[in-house]
Amino acid sequence: MKNVRVWFKKIGTARYISHLDLNRCMLRAIHKAKIPLWYTQGYNPHAFITFPLPLSLGISGERESMDMKLDDDLITREELIEKLNAALPDDIPVFDVTEPVMKPGQIAFASFVMKVDTDNPEVTAAEISELFSREKVVVPKRTKNGFIDLDLKPYLDRTEVISRSGGVEINTILPAGSTMNVNPSLLCDAIKKYLQLDLYTDIQRMNIYDADFKIFE
Amino acid sequence: MINKRIEKLLANVQKPGRYVGGELNCVMKNADEVDVRFAFCFPDIYEVGMSHLGLKILYSQLNTVPYIWCERVFAPWSDMEEEMRKNAVPLYALESGDSISGFDMIGFTLQYELSYTNILNMLDLAGIPLKSRDRHSLSQLVVAGGPCACNPEPLADFFDLFFIGEGEEVDLEVIELYRKYKKQNRSKEEFLIAAAQIQGVYVPSLYEISYNEDHTVKAIIPKHGAPTPVKKRVMMDLDKSYFPDKFVVPYIEIVHDRTVAEVLRGCIRGCRFCQAGFLYRPFREKSVDVIDKQCHDLCDHTGYDEISLSSLSTSDHSELNELIDRLHTWTEAENTGISLPSLRVDNFSTELMSKIKSVRRSGLTFAPEAGTQRLRDVINKNVTEEDLMKTVNTAFKGGWTTIKLYFMIGLPTETLEDIAGIAELGQKVVDAYYENPDKPKGKSVKVTVSASSFVPKPFTPFQWEPQDTMEVLRKKQRHLVASVRTRKVEPNWHEADTSFMEAVFARGDRRLCDVLLEAHESGCKMDGWQDFFSFSKWMEIFKKCGIDPAFYANRRRSFDEVLPWDHIDYGIKKSFLIEECKKAYSDTATPNCREQCSSCGAACFKGGICYEERQSMV
Repeated sequence: MKNVRVWFKKIGTARYISHLDLNRCMLRAIHKAKIPLWYTQGYNPHAFITFPLPLSLGISGERESMDMKLDDDLITREELIEKLNAALPDDIPVFDVTEPVMKPGQIAFASFVMKVDTDNPEVTAAEISELFSREKVVVPKRTKNGFIDLDLKPYLDRTEVISRSGGVEINTILPAGSTMNVNPSLLCDAIKKYLQLDLYTDIQRMNIYDADFKIFE
Repeated sequence: MINKRIEKLLANVQKPGRYVGGELNCVMKNADEVDVRFAFCFPDIYEVGMSHLGLKILYSQLNTVPYIWCERVFAPWSDMEEEMRKNAVPLYALESGDSISGFDMIGFTLQYELSYTNILNMLDLAGIPLKSRDRHSLSQLVVAGGPCACNPEPLADFFDLFFIGEGEEVDLEVIELYRKYKKQNRSKEEFLIAAAQIQGVYVPSLYEISYNEDHTVKAIIPKHGAPTPVKKRVMMDLDKSYFPDKFVVPYIEIVHDRTVAEVLRGCIRGCRFCQAGFLYRPFREKSVDVIDKQCHDLCDHTGYDEISLSSLSTSDHSELNELIDRLHTWTEAENTGISLPSLRVDNFSTELMSKIKSVRRSGLTFAPEAGTQRLRDVINKNVTEEDLMKTVNTAFKGGWTTIKLYFMIGLPTETLEDIAGIAELGQKVVDAYYENPDKPKGKSVKVTVSASSFVPKPFTPFQWEPQDTMEVLRKKQRHLVASVRTRKVEPNWHEADTSFMEAVFARGDRRLCDVLLEAHESGCKMDGWQDFFSFSKWMEIFKKCGIDPAFYANRRRSFDEVLPWDHIDYGIKKSFLIEECKKAYSDTATPNCREQCSSCGAACFKGGICYEERQSMV
């Protein structure tokens, strides 16, 4: 039995599938690729795969990961990558398979690039920068117990707003993982609430880090 | 492949995965390198349409031709439609993201009468003129096929041509002709006149319909040499007939999320209410070798871990046990399950049960269809109470504790005694459970008796029959509930008003085209979904159009009336259907095709069971 961490992208059309659907899609691909997966030994055996940090619907991921247990230690990294890619849709390409180094629980931050659609990048960028420098930026956040008011301000230290020719780019690193998680779409909610700007924003998750900003491996 | 304009809509809709394409095995081509772009439209949402086997077969087959690019189109759910209309995004095909208004052919599959308004809504959303006569160029040809095309008349104004029967060959022949005419810059009229000469093609504009004063059809007169009747197409050798080796595998969960193998076409049974049983004659089987290979290829190319052996009556395959044994030689090692969607009451054996159970357990459903033996003889459902008891005992011994029984109410000659018989049959199944010494310990039994309302359909012996009025159907539903005396039997039923609408459109004529148009303009769509269907709205529309829906649903036709679909020929002789109808009224059953030929007319297709040697009757 061997634990492996599969690294893939979730881009293009694959952005629009939920975590549950991704899970099913991966199981089908593993079955199709005839990868010797370890099955749980219980009454109703099932394959065992987990995702260290699931991605929200609509956001693309450049460095996503999935952990699985193999029944066979001999299959090589190259074989796994090739077999999985042959079995997955084009928009979920696998680019690496490694041994897990960190535990999923160590994940603390994720970095995002947010591309905001606007005809007037300079003005919009200035407005967003001003908003993010205010004392308080409060947005409603949905939790298990209903909506709460969340002040984003403490989490905006590692956020920069840049005016580009096609629109505004926001580069940000936000808390992520099981203890504290800030969804980047909350930044869009703030822009909508405070600036009355309902702008289409393309969000990419670029990377994942632990509490010391070491890249998740 | 979706573009930025579409992406922007997706942020505001539920289940955006329905609208993006890009799934495993979807076919991408370069639009500039093909001659014919075909939009395969399913007039319901993605999850329903992607479960449909016909779409999978024809999509793959058309795309094997290098000069054709067939793409998929589904009806958007209301939230997406609203976004599309608000942002002026026309209906697009999932593969390219291109608007279908620029396509050569727009093909719809007609599976269900209550999806007709979705067809008009989809054309409208694509910016395509709804009526055939308002579309002047050769391209944007709107075509349709599928079981409801057997009576295409309520849709005659909207479609340029219909495919009658099985599509594998005729679709390609029509597209080939289209390609030739397109290259020669010929007109749409010239093309349609030529296409009508291909067997299985019905061009409604080439037929003049006249009516009697009582609104019944007087005559159907063909023009420009169009054939009458239009004879269906049928694939006589299923082993050689095209079947895909891969399916598009959706990202999101669909209704039937599994490999589907077609094991046979047609049905030997001849149940008198069942349209499919007559439309798909003659009965033809695929061989074990071919099915086994097709299943294995599909599983290899999709990653599905479940195979459904699909057909009208899978347990009638003469080599079913051999087939399952063959599949087991590899499915068990690959953790793949086998399921049989349609089981018959009279040939469910312990052997079969153990074979489908060996991998995964699914629920058991049987369809006695009627509650008493007399009524089962009327509808020619040749199963007995004894068969059912034997079958459920087998199932209980095998550990099953939930059984679902399907029935119909509103069948010809039905009385309240027959309705009470449904509840009694459910009770007898419950009793059988408790009398069974091998029953699972400590578990209760649940028997669901599900009653749908009978809808008389064209090309069946009951095509002349009136449907029970909604009042009578509701009275019968209440009688069913009142007849159930235990909580272990759970009755449920379908709403009578949708069955009434089905009955209107199933046997409708061209006068209903205006009703459909009016319904579309009043915003009717997704009528098959309870959250959208509004019966009162429909009744207003009929009133506004001056049409009495009861004329179609609740009227008894005489055997000599010209029926709106009399110019369509499925190979079944009208004289045979009349004889079967008379036999129904004398409670007389007809033997199945394997026992004895009843000369229905399907032998004209020169194959299938009509030409097989029958088992010795000694």
